[in-house]
Amino acid sequence: MSGVITGGWSFVIAAYSLTGAGFLIYAISLIMRLRETK
Amino acid sequence: MKTAWIFVVLGVAFLVAGSYLGLFVAPAEEYMGNVQRIMYVHVPTAWNWMLAVLYAFGAAIAFLFTANAKWDARLEAGLEVSTLLAFLLCCQGSIWAKPTWGVWWDWDPRLTSVAVLLFASIGIIALRGFVDDPHRRAVWSAVATIIASVDLPIVYYSVKWWNSLHQQQSSPQTVSSQFHLPLRLNAFGVLFLMIGFIMLRTRVANMNRARETALPPMTEHAGEIA
Repeated sequence: MSGVITGGWSFVIAAYSLTGAGFLIYAISLIMRLRETK
Repeated sequence: MKTAWIFVVLGVAFLVAGSYLGLFVAPAEEYMGNVQRIMYVHVPTAWNWMLAVLYAFGAAIAFLFTANAKWDARLEAGLEVSTLLAFLLCCQGSIWAKPTWGVWWDWDPRLTSVAVLLFASIGIIALRGFVDDPHRRAVWSAVATIIASVDLPIVYYSVKWWNSLHQQQSSPQTVSSQFHLPLRLNAFGVLFLMIGFIMLRTRVANMNRARETALPPMTEHAGEIA
């Protein structure tokens, strides 16, 4: 046991994808709500 | 409105640049390896989440002092964006925790105090949905936001006050200089995106309020009168 984490790219991709998806979905919801209020 | 979109575009540009550097240019950390690259989105989300909570807190105080509906719209926007950031923060942290701590979640003081504020924010948003009277809704949510914000200093100092599994706060002073640029770019990226979102969401809240107050009062016998 070296205490060094090897690999881990799947976790990195998951974190970045989730963040991007969260911002994108929120932006889409804002656009839709802005259109509704017009 | 145009300014808000400029902030959103700037935020995306900074995030793309910072994430590219964080994923493909910055070296892997000595012990955590590639998993450490999650820090480039996790830490900027945490910093800006705290700013969003502070913004909502300030808007709540300002509303209680002025009773101006514009502050209530800002509170509504700050609350919603802070909830989004808190949700992302918990998910990113959980994804980081699994390979580094061996568990997806731990009832550690830092994680628990963030979760408390996340659920408090969701509760306040739900509360706003239940109250029909705009003034009462604004007062109740302002008071609830102020009470919930007491948790923010607990979140910040939790890693210092208690023996937390979560590491101490990360900042450019506590990480290697090779990690500075992607961390800073993403911090500004999330900041600009957050400002843009808050501005747009405030507009939605203002327009909803205007529509709500412009409607004639509903009466039981409205059908009969017509």
